Amino acid sequence: MIALTGFRIAGYGRSHRAFQPLLLLLVVISLLYATAVPEGDELTSYADSAAILIPVFAWAARGLLDTEPDEQRMIALTAVGRAEIASGLLAALVCNAILALVAVVWPLVAGFAVVPPGGTLVTGVGLHGLAVLAGTVIGALTSRPIMPSPAISIVVLIGGYVAILMAGSSSVWAAFPAMSWMHAANHGELAARLPVIVVSAAIWVGVGLFGYAGLRRTRP
Amino acid sequence: MRVSDLHLRYRRKEPWVLADVNLDLAPGSVIEVVGPNGSGKSTLLRVIAGLLQPTRGTVTGRPAVVGYAPERFPSAQPFTVAGYLRHMAAVRRVDEAAIEEWTSRLRMDHLLGQWLPDLSKGSAHKVGLAQALFCRPDLLILDEPFAGLDGSTRAEVALTVEMVAARGGIVVASDHQGDLRSLLNVTRYEVRDSHVRPVATESAEPMLNLSVRLPLSRAGLLAAQLRAEGHEPLLSQDESVEVAE
Repeated sequence: MIALTGFRIAGYGRSHRAFQPLLLLLVVISLLYATAVPEGDELTSYADSAAILIPVFAWAARGLLDTEPDEQRMIALTAVGRAEIASGLLAALVCNAILALVAVVWPLVAGFAVVPPGGTLVTGVGLHGLAVLAGTVIGALTSRPIMPSPAISIVVLIGGYVAILMAGSSSVWAAFPAMSWMHAANHGELAARLPVIVVSAAIWVGVGLFGYAGLRRTRP
Repeated sequence: MRVSDLHLRYRRKEPWVLADVNLDLAPGSVIEVVGPNGSGKSTLLRVIAGLLQPTRGTVTGRPAVVGYAPERFPSAQPFTVAGYLRHMAAVRRVDEAAIEEWTSRLRMDHLLGQWLPDLSKGSAHKVGLAQALFCRPDLLILDEPFAGLDGSTRAEVALTVEMVAARGGIVVASDHQGDLRSLLNVTRYEVRDSHVRPVATESAEPMLNLSVRLPLSRAGLLAAQLRAEGHEPLLSQDESVEVAE
């Protein structure tokens, strides 16, 4: 499975598709950090950045999974069986982790007025990790085996993200809790609400992965 | 390996693509699948390969190592032939020496440095065959394996099919060109109107032995060409001629 993951990352890296989400991410974070973030507001910025970047991560995951031609996916399936599904997700996670690393490091270089304390950094990395998981799952659910039409796929990707934000504004359990962690960070309640947010995020990511694996059974 | 009561359709309420399919695929068998375009041959191959799940019915006893060569090799990938085959060998956990063996046998050594998107149809097809063969499959699925290949490579592929079957593997291939008919013990099935039925072997037309005298050095190529055209060459040598060891 690791060899197949490496093959997919190599294919994605050599294609031009890899640059599209990277450029979008650079645009988004340069806008986010266009003005210096004052001391004490770093966690709020990280929370916003993580939530805003979910569709970028989803686009990157979808692009990676769709880079491989359908027949190549068939060849991979005969080679490693159902591990092909896990290898695709793992490759998307690795690429999104690199994008998230850029998003976390960028404000430390050009964005924060002062370097935040370690706890804030860890929480920021954690929130971006949750965003990477959510984006990867959304990208997988809108990838070509599940949604062969590119037009429908991109509408569902963006629409799904908007729906997550709208549904998530009412309750932490109603959708993936990106809205909840932004709200909590803006009101200084993130530390207290983080356990609930992590549990909700894990449940929604699990549901998404379960759905993707189930759909792929009949959509090789 | 057994296919039992297989039914398959792509969407609910759509007509069956395959229905009431029952096949026994014994070790060492070569199955040729024929039928008109769009009749479901590739779908049947994909079900047997484990790529598609039956809507109803079961496929049991599938061997662990499956080699699959699609009808159209996906050449739109940013790798050279050598790079692609190295990656596939790693995925299959196959020694890279197997790449050399198969690129040589399929006469594609000169393609190794070329980029996949630059390959001709026949050359790309060879890459697809190489990745399916170098894993020593116990189940080999070939979708139109002879399309676009030159005569000598077609003969090599036919020989390879024989070898896989001879060591107990199962070969299932769709073949419009009819190259598999030169092999002995090929079971032919026709896919038509969503059903799969065995096809009777050739009619009992009288057979004739035709002798050809030619230099020994040219015998191998001619025998291969004759096999590729569906004939059964019977090789014999003048007793007065001594062959250098």
